[in-house]
Amino acid sequence: MWKKEDVKSQAVPENPSAISTSPALPAIGGSPTREPSSAPVSSKASACISQGIRIKGEVTGSEDLFVDGHVEGKLNLSNGSLTVGPNGEVKADIFAREVIVRGRVDGKIVGREKIQLWSTGNVAGDLQTERLSIEDGAVLRGRVEIETGKPLDKFSEARGAAAGASRSGPVPVSSGSAAD
Amino acid sequence: MSFLNKLGIGLGAAAGTGRETPRTIAAVGRPRPNGPSPIAAVGATRAPEPRESNRVSNGLKEFLWNLEGLGRGTLLDLGPAWQTTLSFFIERGFRVSSEDILRAWKEFLQEEEGKLREATGRAAQHNLDVTPAARAARFLEANLQYPSSSFDAILLWDLLDYLEPLVARQMVANLTELLRPGGVVFAMFHSKKAEGFQRYRVADSSTLQVISSPVLCPAQRVYQNREIQDLFSRYRTVKSFVGRDQLRESLFIK
Repeated sequence: MWKKEDVKSQAVPENPSAISTSPALPAIGGSPTREPSSAPVSSKASACISQGIRIKGEVTGSEDLFVDGHVEGKLNLSNGSLTVGPNGEVKADIFAREVIVRGRVDGKIVGREKIQLWSTGNVAGDLQTERLSIEDGAVLRGRVEIETGKPLDKFSEARGAAAGASRSGPVPVSSGSAAD
Repeated sequence: MSFLNKLGIGLGAAAGTGRETPRTIAAVGRPRPNGPSPIAAVGATRAPEPRESNRVSNGLKEFLWNLEGLGRGTLLDLGPAWQTTLSFFIERGFRVSSEDILRAWKEFLQEEEGKLREATGRAAQHNLDVTPAARAARFLEANLQYPSSSFDAILLWDLLDYLEPLVARQMVANLTELLRPGGVVFAMFHSKKAEGFQRYRVADSSTLQVISSPVLCPAQRVYQNREIQDLFSRYRTVKSFVGRDQLRESLFIK
């Protein structure tokens, strides 16, 4: 019927380090590597919408939620964490403390603290968060807004380098070295 | 023959793709010793670890130089959503929009193929206009839908080489509308028909990471200088940097 055990086993990665097997990429606007604590979030999930379940309407709550079925409407977990499982399809705007996407989301995602897109994640919609991590292979179609402090100005270095490149002539044709 | 096959994306094209892949490896000079063959990688659900290399990019340096002092600029990245590229620009205060056009193009062609097959299967008089012009219009109606003058900068990468020429032309026209006056486009063109398929991400302010990936779309054409200038005729400045790897990096300033 609900196969809660099956769903739970999907929710928790078999290998807890699975999320960090991808190249260690700095989380945008956050700590340089993914925090290990981010992986087992779904293990705490007290509620799940398992594969084969279809919900149309608004889902609200403050607990963690795992969605491996279809949800259409609105998902609002004020203090909870939402995990969209590999089979999950969400056509809804999502508001949560933390959002992990392993399936498909069509809608705006606001993850107050963090958004993670796993390699199987596919998002069509804008992302708004403090910290974002994207695994290689994830698909994103939308705008990214990171709510952090003052943006860094790192262009001066680039300017110096570009000036060097431009000095070679009025129409700079340089031998930008190949990959070798 | 379906248009997908003509474009080298259809089922029948797999063999062609496979035939080309070993040549790519030979050209790069780094054959995979014992791993799965690249042929198996094409269309596999889980691709093998992509091969990466770094490439000094004077075009990127110049692109960044042109964006200096912009403050909170807006950038449209038409490549895959790489963490490093997004981080790079977001840390510099940019609002980044991401849209993987080549993936969208591939999916669009597959949908079109499906629609066509369905209409033919019903033996009905289908009214799906399959001319390249109509296809280009349909594709662009579903993609790149932003208000005009939305962006200060666009990362176009080398995707024009992989699109149907008509789509490429129309897309450049659309991008010109999306770009603010003074905005910059960073594009790349292969000087000879690309044999492999690579994607790019920003490593630092002067380096691009080149990632060999399974073929998403086969190369469609090689643009000559004059054709490139023609495509971007509405831009006031063009700068080009030619690399030893036959890749031309170009900056177009509106």
